[in-house]
Amino acid sequence: MRTKPLSIVLRHGALVIVCFIMLVPFYWVIKTSITNENIYAYPPRLLPEAPHLFNYVDVWYFIPFARYLLNSVIVSAIAVAGNVVFNAMAAYALTKHFVGKQSVMLLFLSCMLVPFQATIIPAYLITAKLGLLNTYLGLALPLMSTIVCIFIYKAAFEAVPQSLIDAARVDGLKERQVILRILMPLSKPAVATNVILAFIWSWNAFLWPLIITREPIMQTLPLGLARFLSYLEDTTGALYAFAVMVLAPSIFVFLMAQKEFIRGLTSGATKG
Amino acid sequence: MMDRRKILKSGAVVAAAAALPMPAIAQSPKKITFLTWNIIDTADIINGWIARFTKDRPGVEVEWQDKKGPELPTFYQTQLAAGTPPDIINTQGALGLEYAGQGALLDITSRLKADAGYGNGFNQNYLGNWVYEGANYMVPFYLTKTVLFWNKTMFQKAGLSGPPQSFDDIIAYAEKMKSADSTGFLTLNFDWLYWPLYAMNGVDLLSTDLKTTAFNTPKAIEVTERLAKATESGAINKISWTGRWVEPNGAFAAGNVGMLHAHAPAYFYVKGQGKWVTPETLGATHVPGSFATPNSHGLGISKGSKNPDLAWDFLKFITNEAQIGEFARLRKLVTGNTAFDTKHFAELDKSDPFVAALLRTQLEHTDKMVGNWRLGNDSRVKEAFWPELQNVMLGRKDAKTALADADKKVQRELKRA
Amino acid sequence: MNTRTRSFTPWYQRKRTRDIALVACFLLPSLAIFFLYRILPLLWNLVLSFEYWSPLKPAKFAGLDQYREIFLEDDVFWQSLTNSLAFVAAAPFAIALALGIALLVNSDLKGASVYRAIVFISYPLMSVAVGIIWKWLYDERGGIINYALRSAGLVTKPIPFLQSFDYALPSVIVAEVWQVIGFYMIILLTGLQSVPPHLYEAASVDGVPRWAQFWRITLPLLRSSLFLCAVIGILNSFTSFDLIYVMTGGGPGHATELLVTHIYKTGFGQTRFDYAAALTVVQFILLLALTWLANRAAGGNAGAHDTGRA
Repeated sequence: MRTKPLSIVLRHGALVIVCFIMLVPFYWVIKTSITNENIYAYPPRLLPEAPHLFNYVDVWYFIPFARYLLNSVIVSAIAVAGNVVFNAMAAYALTKHFVGKQSVMLLFLSCMLVPFQATIIPAYLITAKLGLLNTYLGLALPLMSTIVCIFIYKAAFEAVPQSLIDAARVDGLKERQVILRILMPLSKPAVATNVILAFIWSWNAFLWPLIITREPIMQTLPLGLARFLSYLEDTTGALYAFAVMVLAPSIFVFLMAQKEFIRGLTSGATKG
Repeated sequence: MMDRRKILKSGAVVAAAAALPMPAIAQSPKKITFLTWNIIDTADIINGWIARFTKDRPGVEVEWQDKKGPELPTFYQTQLAAGTPPDIINTQGALGLEYAGQGALLDITSRLKADAGYGNGFNQNYLGNWVYEGANYMVPFYLTKTVLFWNKTMFQKAGLSGPPQSFDDIIAYAEKMKSADSTGFLTLNFDWLYWPLYAMNGVDLLSTDLKTTAFNTPKAIEVTERLAKATESGAINKISWTGRWVEPNGAFAAGNVGMLHAHAPAYFYVKGQGKWVTPETLGATHVPGSFATPNSHGLGISKGSKNPDLAWDFLKFITNEAQIGEFARLRKLVTGNTAFDTKHFAELDKSDPFVAALLRTQLEHTDKMVGNWRLGNDSRVKEAFWPELQNVMLGRKDAKTALADADKKVQRELKRA
Repeated sequence: MNTRTRSFTPWYQRKRTRDIALVACFLLPSLAIFFLYRILPLLWNLVLSFEYWSPLKPAKFAGLDQYREIFLEDDVFWQSLTNSLAFVAAAPFAIALALGIALLVNSDLKGASVYRAIVFISYPLMSVAVGIIWKWLYDERGGIINYALRSAGLVTKPIPFLQSFDYALPSVIVAEVWQVIGFYMIILLTGLQSVPPHLYEAASVDGVPRWAQFWRITLPLLRSSLFLCAVIGILNSFTSFDLIYVMTGGGPGHATELLVTHIYKTGFGQTRFDYAAALTVVQFILLLALTWLANRAAGGNAGAHDTGRA
């Protein structure tokens, strides 16, 4: 090991500071979710007083939580599947040389630059035309391929040494097999990133489901938010509990997928 | 030029062909949709109304949608564009007039006339808030206007015996109550809710015919300067000019703000958070001059409704005492249905006298409602005026320049319409 | 001119044709989705921007009137443009920070996976919740930041972060960076993971010091990831809608107004969809120009890194 103890301490120190900054707001979310304090009181109370979990129970009963959860899971699963497959296909195509490639890239990039808020009305009319209002597919469709994730795949595919692909071709592997057996396995971090990001984006989508779902039975979890921004009651505690409950699955997906980010460790790349 | 126009037209045709046809939601001949504004927490009551309404009307279906304030306009406009507007719509503040101005709402003047007993049952001043260019577009659902809440404990500590009687008093009292950790006065600011502060000084925003501005006067400048100075000194809480609902009410609930100028429902929010709130420690009264800005909820019918008669029936049904009474008793609010409100207040006198007194203020001095100009473009006028006022209150511009700038912008909006 | 060599295979069997067919088929699903939900809506906005229109009113030709108003009369447009650019200016710092963190957590450091998870944790939080919590953190009286500053004796008077013209924009930017840093980190991590380990091994054998390895191996190979971060940074700067909407609503005045909040407010708030459409088109062109610049800065070819192939 070439790494000196001092440098290890410094690295831990830096990360601890970063993590502290990341966690302070979280601490407050969780603290408020287990108390019913007026968060505008001065001085703020640093430790929770008489903590309880009633807010979490309330959330479950205030909204049809189980049903919304199911809807969110279905919509996110569709979106994740779409991203993992369609983005890989598009990214693979973009690693090829073909006429008009630059234009396609430019088109993709410019598609990224249209803000969703400005597309609500036409997007609604198009979805209606497709007959997808109030359906899971309609909820997921706009998010089933995302440009950022295509570029992530593309970068990963391009990092696979050409010699490996050529060798596979010599062995008689077809295009499809090259992708499935060589490129994808070697791009696991990119697949993981696709899963994580596609999940988060579809999971947290708010305005789109709000516009295109009609029946409460089709609503996704974030739409439950409305129940906690009531006009008359103070629902701050329940609101924060709700935020934590919506966050949890995303964290879970991240923890599951982040296994793919430890290749450096196993292959000894950074052991020096 | 011709060519360009042609291209543009064909572009429009393509976009329209791809995008504009009617969406697939089929409106069955007897189905109506009811869109409400952030009252999802009363689902049991509203589902009950729908069950009762449809019971005697075979084949009729009522779909209920509820959206929060910030998203309701987005949802409604999208539905309008798609040609499927909800039949009955509940809006807050001036939005109803705005939709009337846009041509989205059904003129219900003749229906109200034909059913005089129904129309006359409402407080006429409140009903008049939804008159646009001489026609009625909405009826009251539940009503609010601003009052002055005062923290009696803080008043006593500062040696003040009762609520302020003039604008001068408001400023002076606020100065007296301010300290390192407390401020004297706080007002809500959205939807012109602060306008009584100007009205009590004789300042109006627009001329009576609403054709031109009336606020760029020495008096208005003076009032603005005084408010800005008191804000600078900490007598007026800055949240007055930046917060919306949670922050100002939360701040007052924390117990270190002397006065809160807000519409009546703020009481329930404040009471929920402030352990100090009792009839002995909290007072509620009219501001000097008894001016108030309404921020009421109304019910209207979309002009695009396929079943306007059924929608009107439903609207009448839910504003009937048997239905609206349930809602009003649960949430302790004023309906504008005078007969019911009187009865309701008498009940509250026994169970919750403070709330009874508070709600009574909502039906007093209803001829002195301000900030409720019957404009079809209220939001644009607001957007032209309010940021300039904020500039003064937060110390970026002086009152004279800001009001002159606001004057230019508001004039432009008035001309555009 | 190559017809002679290929004349014996029909066109549909030629490798070139099949390659093109493959590329087209593979691009199709993504392109279809983008066409429906990005390109068509953009065209809708483009057409609308030359008209006077609102739902229920027939469209009337407006020529360049909407654009004239944007550039000549709308000072909110200029203010929100400046604000958006201030946001953009902050992006490089955030990306540099994220790169530092990514390098630290992409190692065999004990507990790296825990650090990774913690740094990422803010990104999946609903933006609305992020806005609500940061609004409170910044609160003048009850907020923890002012409490900390006052307890430490750094300030005597609490700072009204979100209520002041000077602090509001930087405060919102900090909150935005807080939320998005985990996102940058994960993109950079993905990039770091695709750097072939043998490059470092070879460099170490040759006695190349660590910092030089970073400059000569890591950075060049991260170019496409960095470009992606830059584009996302630019994009976020223009479209951090939820956060702004919840924290300040664009205020005080228009101190934190972004073009996207301006677009949304004029469209849905003031029923001026025609004007909002023109603003959308202007923003689109601006973003296109900025992205082009970022692409140039990253060395062209829209983020492809050819070095990886060799």
